[in-house]
Amino acid sequence: MPYKPPIMIPGSEKGIRVDSRILEERIQKAVADGYRNIEIIAQGQHGIGGRLWRAGDEPLTMRILGTSGQRVGAMGFPNTMIDVVGPASDDVGWLNAGARITIRGNATNGVANAMAQGKIFVAGDIGARGMTMTKHNPRFDPPELWVLGSVGDSFAEFMAGGIAVICGVGKEWSDNVLGYRPCVGMVGGKIFFRGPHQDYSEKDARLTVPDDEEWRWLNVQMEDFLEAIERAALLTELTADRGAWKLLVARKPYEKTGAPVRNFHRFRAEVWDQELGKGGLIGDLTDQDRSPVELITTGDLRRFIPLWENEKYLPPCQAHCPTGFPVRKRWELIRKGKMQEAVDLALSYTPFPAAICGYLCPNLCMQNCTRQKGDLPAVDVTLLGKASLQAAVPAPAPATGRKIAVIGGGAAGLSVAWQLHMKGHEPVIHEMRRQLGGKITETIPRSRIPDEVVDHELKRLEEEIPHKHLKHPLTGEEFRKLYEKYDIIVIAVGARKPRIIPVPGHERVAAALDFLRESRLDRAKVGKNVVIIGAGNVGCDAAAEASRLGAQSVTLIDIQAPASFGVERKNAEAAGAKFLWPRFTKTITETAVELTDGTVLPADTVIMAVGDQPDLSFLPEEIKTEKGFVVVNEKFQTSDPKVFAIGDAVRLGLLTEAIGAGRVAARAIDDLFRGREESYDQLPAIDTERVKLEYYDPRLPRFEDPLSCAAGCASCGACRDCGLCETICPQNAISRQDLGEGAYEYTVDAELCIGCGFCEGACPCGIWRLIENDTLE
Amino acid sequence: MEPDGQLKPSTLSTKDLPWQVLWSKEKCSLCGLCTAVCPVQAIELGVHRKRVLQITLGLMEKPGNVFGVYHGIRQRTDVAHACIGCGMCDMVCPNHAIMPVHNDEPDKLRFHIDQGGIPRRRGGRRNAPGSLLDEIKFVRISMLTDPALDAGRHEFELRTLLGRILSPEEALRVSREAGWIPPVREIYPLILGGMSFGALSPTMWEGLQMGIAYLNEEMNIPIRFCTGEGGCPPRLLRSRFLKYIILQIASGYFGWDEIIHALPEMKEDPCAIEIKYGQGAKPGDGGLLMWYKVNKLIAAIRGVPVGVNLPSPPTHQTKYSIEEAVAKMIQSMSMAWGFRVPVYPKISATSTALAVLNNLTRNPYAAGLAMDGEDGGTGAAYNVSMDQMGHPIASIVRDAYLNLVKIGKQNEVPIFAGGGIGKNGNLAANAASLIMLGASGVQVGKYIMQATAGCLGSERDRCNICNIGLCPKGITSQDSRLYRRLDPEKVAERLVETVMSFDTELKKIVAPLGRSTSLPIGMSDALGIADKSAAERLGIRHVI
Repeated sequence: MPYKPPIMIPGSEKGIRVDSRILEERIQKAVADGYRNIEIIAQGQHGIGGRLWRAGDEPLTMRILGTSGQRVGAMGFPNTMIDVVGPASDDVGWLNAGARITIRGNATNGVANAMAQGKIFVAGDIGARGMTMTKHNPRFDPPELWVLGSVGDSFAEFMAGGIAVICGVGKEWSDNVLGYRPCVGMVGGKIFFRGPHQDYSEKDARLTVPDDEEWRWLNVQMEDFLEAIERAALLTELTADRGAWKLLVARKPYEKTGAPVRNFHRFRAEVWDQELGKGGLIGDLTDQDRSPVELITTGDLRRFIPLWENEKYLPPCQAHCPTGFPVRKRWELIRKGKMQEAVDLALSYTPFPAAICGYLCPNLCMQNCTRQKGDLPAVDVTLLGKASLQAAVPAPAPATGRKIAVIGGGAAGLSVAWQLHMKGHEPVIHEMRRQLGGKITETIPRSRIPDEVVDHELKRLEEEIPHKHLKHPLTGEEFRKLYEKYDIIVIAVGARKPRIIPVPGHERVAAALDFLRESRLDRAKVGKNVVIIGAGNVGCDAAAEASRLGAQSVTLIDIQAPASFGVERKNAEAAGAKFLWPRFTKTITETAVELTDGTVLPADTVIMAVGDQPDLSFLPEEIKTEKGFVVVNEKFQTSDPKVFAIGDAVRLGLLTEAIGAGRVAARAIDDLFRGREESYDQLPAIDTERVKLEYYDPRLPRFEDPLSCAAGCASCGACRDCGLCETICPQNAISRQDLGEGAYEYTVDAELCIGCGFCEGACPCGIWRLIENDTLE
Repeated sequence: MEPDGQLKPSTLSTKDLPWQVLWSKEKCSLCGLCTAVCPVQAIELGVHRKRVLQITLGLMEKPGNVFGVYHGIRQRTDVAHACIGCGMCDMVCPNHAIMPVHNDEPDKLRFHIDQGGIPRRRGGRRNAPGSLLDEIKFVRISMLTDPALDAGRHEFELRTLLGRILSPEEALRVSREAGWIPPVREIYPLILGGMSFGALSPTMWEGLQMGIAYLNEEMNIPIRFCTGEGGCPPRLLRSRFLKYIILQIASGYFGWDEIIHALPEMKEDPCAIEIKYGQGAKPGDGGLLMWYKVNKLIAAIRGVPVGVNLPSPPTHQTKYSIEEAVAKMIQSMSMAWGFRVPVYPKISATSTALAVLNNLTRNPYAAGLAMDGEDGGTGAAYNVSMDQMGHPIASIVRDAYLNLVKIGKQNEVPIFAGGGIGKNGNLAANAASLIMLGASGVQVGKYIMQATAGCLGSERDRCNICNIGLCPKGITSQDSRLYRRLDPEKVAERLVETVMSFDTELKKIVAPLGRSTSLPIGMSDALGIADKSAAERLGIRHVI
């Protein structure tokens, strides 16, 4: 294209401002026409000098006189050199893609916004948001902005590349050449500046000084800048002091410092504790350790601790045995192969282990056996009871010479005498009958127990203890003599006085105990129809006996649901006895029992079994009674400290209860003799939920022999020494300590234990218990 | 079942419980960590029977049985040991062999949790997962209509005013006459609502306080913490950190003699005094700190002997009317600091709130009103109070604000809203909604416990045993074995992270609305909701 001379394009025609669109068209046309040196007399038109690509590679110079509008050099091309002779408005060099733009005065906001290539030289100051959103495309040189004076607020926001140089000339009066908060969001490029500054975004930019290469670059380029704005004289001033120049560089992503500068440990030490004092907020109120702990802790920091509670609770069998028999202990001895010892143990507790445990007792021990809670059969204690016939009599304690009169040779009297004898005292039994044994030998049907068992056990006792047969009921006078003669009197006369309800015709009835006494001797006679008034266990015994003696129909009536149970009830039912209740007797005639509801029960024989009372006619008035029974305290002591009373004379009960009362009274008397104050509280029964029954075979229907009983006993509350706890403990914290002579204990190493409770969960016998650890104050 | 096989009315199976503990025999290594960590002993080692039939193929031999026993983790089913779903077993299990899962149908435990005739009590929030606040959207996005701001770039002044602000005419008059100008605090709009020393563990409380101090002094965020009713440790009262504290006085008046004794030694005034009349979680009900929780430390701070019951009655015993309560209490509390400290009441959100508000507008000493909605949390309350009592916060805030607008005092008596803010994690959005409905700021508690200490409580009734002192995270326990699980420094750090994140989110909400230097209090034209009746009730846009 041939050379074209400079061309001037005016911004107004005939005094009227040319529209920005028209001016742009004219400029583009001039470039297309080959003009490469253009002068504009601007009248505030926008966007002058941009997009002049039609010049191709040829350099194009544009001088702007007058008043330039916004966006001078916007989208400028690399061939374009714009010289604004004066100040410029907003957004100089917006999206500049290569133009060199010189402003001979100040420029307002937005200089170099989004510039990617090219240079902008400003001979004065610039407004806010200069050098924002700038880019650096690696295909080209980075863009540059040179400012002779200072920049406005929010400089270099989101600056992503390029170089800015702020010379600070003429700003000696200012305390800030960078404006308010520059570099927010800056991610690339650098800013050379000379002069004071205030806060900048430290998160995004790093303050440093130019290195040698940067300093050299600055010196060389400075000459170019000053020449462009025709201020070359300033070169010396601007390059004389390298120390006056600083550099802000965008932080690399990995250099970003979003996090607070002071860490919390330091803050606590340097600020918190410093202000509040050692130990912080509550250091003055407590010296308790508050340092962090793990979720799983040992030692004092455990929330729960296991206890080995061996034999701290009674097994239910023993707890429910009125005699207080150590049932579980006997099975344990058998498990240890000490069969004889297990058998012999019996005589320390009762003179009738075979008769009562083996035959006559309803076996409250078995009724309460824990195994039944797991649908397992109770351990059969009668097997061991029967085996007790062979028990060896233990040697009594050394003789004390203390004498006790025991009035009554029934179960209670024999029990107390037996125990007192074992303790070294001298009991003398006073029995009005020819035979000892009370109800056992007198009224309990033979079908319930073989004679040889009773004979054997009575003989064993009689060989040990002296007794007198009074052959008549005790008189008051005799009682007074005994009282004088003996150290202690024990009343165990039983309840032999039948209660008879005074209905019309009651003279006809037989008292149940009398009937049973006679029937035992086969002297009783019954008619075809027998009616028994009172359907308790005694009534049941009478029913069974009546049937045995030939009665064809036996009817028991009661005013309430019959209280009978166990073998007695079963025997009566087996004999075909009918039970009727609630029924009330109106009259007893020669042939029948008439009830209040009008029913007539044919009756050849009528037996009254509504309970018995003790015959206490011998008792001095000073000894308190209530409703016909002797009043005692929990040690079976009467209102006269020298007189004790036990058995049915105190309260009607089971044989085992009479035996138990004898044991307690003997112990109290022994304490009295020896001057001891003892508590009679027994250990509490174990919570059977602690015992694990899953370890036992659920399929065994019943026990065949004492050995299988011993194996099946759950050993409630007493350690079997199985070692399961030692094995299951996940921390290896439990160990068995041998205490010598067969004694042992299991202990826990607190420093290993985490309080998981596995020992408690696994223990077959319920020995281990997990409890809350003591409060830490 | 009962071991004796007896079925009782309250005999429950695992299926009847809210949570079932799933246990894998195959993965379990019987290490004991789960039973050791379980807060309520809901699991134990169980002994189990096992039976395997031995059958030869072809049936040529007589089949047999092999019986045996194995050990495993068993869930207890009695009411007192029902699993609470906290999941600590899962957390400690090295093999992921155990985990509680929520029942897929309503549990039966709820019908039996009144053993002994005592209704259920618990901690946590109303068991209702939904939140109206979550449904509110910010629909007014500034673009070309007015300058949009950039949350990442613009500097924001997210501050609010706590205190009675005089109208311009009044302010001029008072300053001309050199009269009394009510104290006003410029604070962060997020306030940590009343959580007492006692309700929270010492480590939790100290951690939060430390975080508050850090935010104020290192991060330049003027956030405040309300002590709740339990006094304030003497050292804090005498430190410069007191200015970050709002001291609460409630019907139990615990710890106030210690505060009074500290008056001469205070380096700073407290931020404000909050008079608590009610709590959103249990409106109209008081509280009782059981004697066994009143240990040496709590006793010292509350100024009571160790081991006594500490009742906070439902009402202030000597205040019989609004007039009296407001007049007496606000004036007296103002006097304590020479009228230099703002004093405001806090009530549970209620349909009678406007009566209280109107009264406050006529009292020149009233510095504002805090209202706590039905979704607020608590350390202990009757389940019935928590689930069924109370008023939603959004509508009551709106009513209160519009009432102030009606009498021209919307810029004079600030309203602070609390109760369920951030219930489902949307802390900033819920806060912004309430602010735009008219609140000057929000009070949060439960969210803070969840975010800063990993509180496991949920509105599907997970954990929620704050009331029995067995908090598995050590947040609400006074047992050092539990609260030492919590490191105060870590709590402080999490509080700072939480608030910084809230700050960014709040900016992300208010920047597009074109706000950066004043909170958009009452800017309800920015809000929209799809529920037409909610839109009408709240006076915001119905958007679908």
